[in-house]
Amino acid sequence: MLRHLLKLIWNKKGSHSLLIIEIWASFMVLFGVLSLIVYNLNNYLEPIGFEYKNVWVVDLNNNQDTTAIAEKTTQIMQRIRSYPQVASASRMSSNTPFSANTMNNSTNYQKISSMADDYYTDEEFSKTLDLPLTAGRWYLPEDRVSKSTPVVINKKLQEKLFGDENPLGKVLGNNDSESEGNQKTTFRVVGVVDKFKAKGEFMLDNPAIFKLMDKNDKWNKLVLIKTKAGTDATFEERLVKDIAAMAPGWGIEVSYLTESRKNRHNLTLVPVIIFLIISGFLLTNVALGLFGILNLGIARRRSEIGLRRAMGATEGSVTAQFLGEMWVLAAFSVILGLLFAVQFPIMNVFDIAAGVYLTAIAAAIVVIFVIVTLCAWYPSRQAARVQPALALHEE
Amino acid sequence: MLQLTNIDKTYRTSSVETLALNNINLNVKKGEFISVMGPSGCGKSTLLNIMGLLDEPTGGEISIDGSRVANYHDKELARLRNEKLGFIFQSFHLINDLSVLDNVEIPLLYRKTSAKVRRELAQEALEKVGLSNRMKHFPKQLSGGQKQRVAIARAIVGRPEIILADEPTGNLDSVMGNEILDILQKLNDDGATIVMVTHDDAMAQRTHRLVRLFDGTQVL
Repeated sequence: MLRHLLKLIWNKKGSHSLLIIEIWASFMVLFGVLSLIVYNLNNYLEPIGFEYKNVWVVDLNNNQDTTAIAEKTTQIMQRIRSYPQVASASRMSSNTPFSANTMNNSTNYQKISSMADDYYTDEEFSKTLDLPLTAGRWYLPEDRVSKSTPVVINKKLQEKLFGDENPLGKVLGNNDSESEGNQKTTFRVVGVVDKFKAKGEFMLDNPAIFKLMDKNDKWNKLVLIKTKAGTDATFEERLVKDIAAMAPGWGIEVSYLTESRKNRHNLTLVPVIIFLIISGFLLTNVALGLFGILNLGIARRRSEIGLRRAMGATEGSVTAQFLGEMWVLAAFSVILGLLFAVQFPIMNVFDIAAGVYLTAIAAAIVVIFVIVTLCAWYPSRQAARVQPALALHEE
Repeated sequence: MLQLTNIDKTYRTSSVETLALNNINLNVKKGEFISVMGPSGCGKSTLLNIMGLLDEPTGGEISIDGSRVANYHDKELARLRNEKLGFIFQSFHLINDLSVLDNVEIPLLYRKTSAKVRRELAQEALEKVGLSNRMKHFPKQLSGGQKQRVAIARAIVGRPEIILADEPTGNLDSVMGNEILDILQKLNDDGATIVMVTHDDAMAQRTHRLVRLFDGTQVL
């Protein structure tokens, strides 16, 4: 029967070509949207690697004040850490979790090089974000005296640079190592964390390196504060007032990581939702088109249906034939689509894992066949119910 | 072989009731060649549809080989149509998108017949009707007579016991019509039972028995 259907469709390829193109286009759009969804979902299922609840970000902006910035910042940090409501506080570069800022640099170990997100933090950072270490330790105050800057890397960077080798104690370099003269331009690995998805759950677990910030650094003016449970806006008001008193003229802004996370999620989810709406609209059009074409086709093929019934076709086999025709057409379209879609994993487009594309391909095939089946089912049942005597008499 | 007992057929719409067949009794014996005649609208095609299990009578009984088919389900009726009956229509009812050979194979698709056997049987049937040189052609490339010969090949490919022909020469000129009747007569000589609806007295004279209908009633 399959060979018969293939012949029937092949001989009518001209009239079916538009339908094939329509299903092919739907497959391609679905493949795109589903790749996006699978990519984000895969990321979402991976743990974020740190704790963001009850963590505030205080932005200390010295504005026009240029005197004793480092000293003032140190005093402010001491003051912040002294509050009973504060569990921990840490300075950090501007690429705080869920922020829009990104810093990355090439990190080298011997002849291996990898791009990694750079985070400048201090000794309290792992405590502030509950960042568990899988090997070694977080950097300590005494590490400041060492020749190389102490760094903690994540597992991803460890895999890229060291493979199975133990990274602890190894010295890394970066692109600036040769040009920075008297600054410390080598980095000694003191610890490894599992994951750090700074841009949120939907982010890929990129290679990351945490570098100990210089004690007198005056450029990184963000402070992460882990507050104790139950701390409210009253403390926030007091905190701002106290800092303002210590550093007159400075701008002080407090934000919450939970809020930043929501904003970051929206940045990821809104385009996905927009694509979903567009593809939903397209698929609805395709579904209606298929339904209409099938209904019309059945009206035109009533005598053929009558004939097949006279030749021994049951109601079930007429339904199966019309469904089969649509499945064969869908299969043609999907095969055409696959020629394009398989290029993505083969060519590693957008540096996304092949599994993401393959899952999206499989899901797109399932969705296409479900839609085609749903659209073809009712007209096919209608075809099966055609009275053979009437249908044969009509021509 | 095929027996109709007290067959009635009434078509009903919301406002009109039309009696198409009234108390028809007919016993078709194995090897017979019967013609059914009558004016247009007298119920000839309705009778043939009921004999072919394509339509249900309003009253009466149909028996094939002694078995009453009244309570048969769709699958059983389809099997009977496929195995016992072959149909020939006035307007051929060929599928234009399939080749002659594929058209002839259609009844065999609804049996568990392998593609190879289907092909062999279809070629054999086409040889019987003298169309072995047109197997790869499409219906649009054939004349009316050739189309009807394809339809006959399709009707006999499954080796049915009864062939039901609804005005098989109605769309053909007299020469072609006679050719078709010659083929049917040859099939009958080879043992096929044939019931043929016709308007043509001369054609009817060449059959064994004539059944005449008038306003749905059997008059002969």
